[in-house]
Amino acid sequence: MLKEKIEKHLLEIQKPSRYIGGEVGSIIKDKSKVDVRFAFCFPDTYDIGMSHLGMKILYSLTNERENYWCERCFAPSEDFEAIMRENDIPLYALESLDPIKDFDFIGFTMQYELSYTNVLNMLDLAGIPIFARDRTEELTQIVVAGGPCVCNPEPLADFFDLFILGEGEEVNLELMDLYHEMKKLGASRKEFLRKACHIEGIYVPQFYKFHYKDDGTIERIEVTDDAPETVKKRIIKDFDKVYYPENFVVPFTEIVHDRVSVEVLRGCLRGCRFCQAGFIYRPFREKHADTIVEQTKCLCENTGYDEVSLASLSTSDHSEIDPMLTKLLTYTAGERINLSLPSLRVDNFSEELLEKIKRIRKSGLTFAPEGGTQRLRDVINKNVSDEEIMNTCRIAFEGGYSSVKLYFMMGLPTETDEDIMGIAELAQRIIDLFYTMENRPKGRGVQISVSCATFVPKPFTPFQFEPQDTREMIEHKQKLLLDSVNKKRVKVSYHDPNVSILEAVLAKGDRRLCDVVYTAWKKGCKFDSWGEHYHFDKWLESFEECGVDPAFYANRRISYDEILPWGHLDYYVSHEFFVRENKTAHKAITTPHCRLKCSGCGVNKEIGGRCFD
Amino acid sequence: MIRLRAVFSKKDRAKYISHLDLNRCMLRTFRRSGLPIWYTEGFHSHPYFSFALALSLGYESECEILDFNLNEEVPFDEVRDRLNAVMPDGMEIISVAEQVRKITAITNAEYSFSLVTDKPESLINDIKSLINQEQILIEKKTKKGVKTVDIKPDMKIVSCEVSEKSVDMVMRLPAGTQTNYNPSLFFEALKNVSDMPFETAEIRRTGIFCENNEIFS
Repeated sequence: MLKEKIEKHLLEIQKPSRYIGGEVGSIIKDKSKVDVRFAFCFPDTYDIGMSHLGMKILYSLTNERENYWCERCFAPSEDFEAIMRENDIPLYALESLDPIKDFDFIGFTMQYELSYTNVLNMLDLAGIPIFARDRTEELTQIVVAGGPCVCNPEPLADFFDLFILGEGEEVNLELMDLYHEMKKLGASRKEFLRKACHIEGIYVPQFYKFHYKDDGTIERIEVTDDAPETVKKRIIKDFDKVYYPENFVVPFTEIVHDRVSVEVLRGCLRGCRFCQAGFIYRPFREKHADTIVEQTKCLCENTGYDEVSLASLSTSDHSEIDPMLTKLLTYTAGERINLSLPSLRVDNFSEELLEKIKRIRKSGLTFAPEGGTQRLRDVINKNVSDEEIMNTCRIAFEGGYSSVKLYFMMGLPTETDEDIMGIAELAQRIIDLFYTMENRPKGRGVQISVSCATFVPKPFTPFQFEPQDTREMIEHKQKLLLDSVNKKRVKVSYHDPNVSILEAVLAKGDRRLCDVVYTAWKKGCKFDSWGEHYHFDKWLESFEECGVDPAFYANRRISYDEILPWGHLDYYVSHEFFVRENKTAHKAITTPHCRLKCSGCGVNKEIGGRCFD
Repeated sequence: MIRLRAVFSKKDRAKYISHLDLNRCMLRTFRRSGLPIWYTEGFHSHPYFSFALALSLGYESECEILDFNLNEEVPFDEVRDRLNAVMPDGMEIISVAEQVRKITAITNAEYSFSLVTDKPESLINDIKSLINQEQILIEKKTKKGVKTVDIKPDMKIVSCEVSEKSVDMVMRLPAGTQTNYNPSLFFEALKNVSDMPFETAEIRRTGIFCENNEIFS
């Protein structure tokens, strides 16, 4: 038993309750009665991973099956990792405290590019061969991954036996069923993978060989072992009826999102051209208001949480938003539950509802115009106008607010210095508005915080073809912004461009990046998303040693007819649509959202014609 | 408003729940139980929970005290059972009753623990010579800084036995609103005088007392 070994050191480390399980809601089974064991791994610490909604859904869903057992596993913090390595404690799952190397499936969810090295580190801590090719021929220890990043899984392809594309609620169980069946027949790993690749949504990278041209671009993708030419992602058709957990594991230590989270809709109808989530989660589907209220009640009662938030890409686009919030607020107010609302468009709410929302909203006001000028916002198809921003600010100031947070992106396609100065001008107009209002909050000045992320071009977006700004360009723009803002009233923060460069390379990279990721991890890179752990110099050395030029992936414009590393994966939004949207973007023309007019992205074909009634 | 007092145990994995996390954990347990929790009035309305003594991370206990309020009268046993049905593993409400005394009546607490060592015989000799000292001076960290205290006058050894691999002790130390000594002070004092390496194990609070050694209730 590992328990004793673990407990011996738990008091030497930070927040020990993260490493010993036993939380309310965690599911314990008799392993002698379990046929397939799945270790659901989140490649970051407990505090972050436990906040992930997808894990909660798939954890409960798998455990509904009596003979399958899904357990949780997270990356240990530095202090505990050192103890694990020193005392030969292999990476273990939190329910049974059994080593995950003995599991049938080791499944990672890939939520962001900067967690890739953590996957390697976790496999290493577990004692599982890092490269898929080094694993046994036996049918066990199948290392799989899902999540948004696997829409281009190539930079991870060498480390995984298979990838799960799209939504996991159905395909995960199909995959486990197949495994269970083939295990009984004594099949090998390879035999299993050959069958698995015919389940819709399953991509087995070893059956696809990449051939490159002299200029570094892809010449062709050779398919072996009778695997399908293109792999389609999975979509849940009846989203209102899809499985949703009745209980969550309730942690002892505080986690990032420490509350009940109810998914209200999936997909997004806005079509912002930089946003990967906006395209890979299509089509837009919603749950009925009553379903949402029922699920909220059930989860609050079972977990004891007194806070709930609504999860979606854009909650205000729900067609029943007004009745939904009214019903939810009636329930939550009665039970002393805090309903935390994400940024909502408040334009079309009833007076009554607005009043109610005002009473519960504690946090400040946040906008994401993303671009500093109307022209640039048209390019990225972010349909927020100056007027809307000013109107909402006025309402907020009247309601007693005196601070506003604005999110922007820097380095967007077609961006000029004028667009950067536009950010400062927009902030100044909000400041001026504040001081021209007679009924503004007294006794305080207005504070604007401007937060600038660096644009990262992503696969499966109209901007997948776009080059990222070089570090020099970004640094110039950051300096320009700092010089143009009213320093007394505006606080500017921005991302480290070195981080965004790596994100772009890993997001758009091909299979040649696997060696770079491996080399960087060997040099000690892990927790790359944690500023203090990020070593860009080690990454640069790794690129150099592997003969890979990061600029080829980040800063090169991809032509429309190039074979893309993710070209054999089908997320139902067509290549032609992305090309069309890219061209429209360069003409600074917007595309209306899906409810107004179908833009013909292609996803409607899969769901039988129309996304909306 | 009904004022109640629960005695609860905190063992096994629950010993890794920190004092800070315990408050949140109890609130969620009460909410799951569906009991009529009383909330404070005022702008930041919140339920009232008060733990008589903080318990160090990693220590077990069979006698933790939690004061709380309900809105309506509920039979004591029902309160206990409804809470136990939704308690985290390792925690259990032993009893629920009225609040007899004020928290300030607490004067000391009893702890049992094992000192694991290869040579318990020589460790016990060191323990004997330590407790026969006139003073046991040890540095104690307080909010105001480090100060040196003499734990000897207030330390009462209830039992001290040698087993195959350890020395097992039960000891009472001052606790409450005035002076609080943690057994770790004793461990440190012992480490200062003994050459025998030892590890502490199974540290458990076994009783909370008022003056005249009456069990606090």
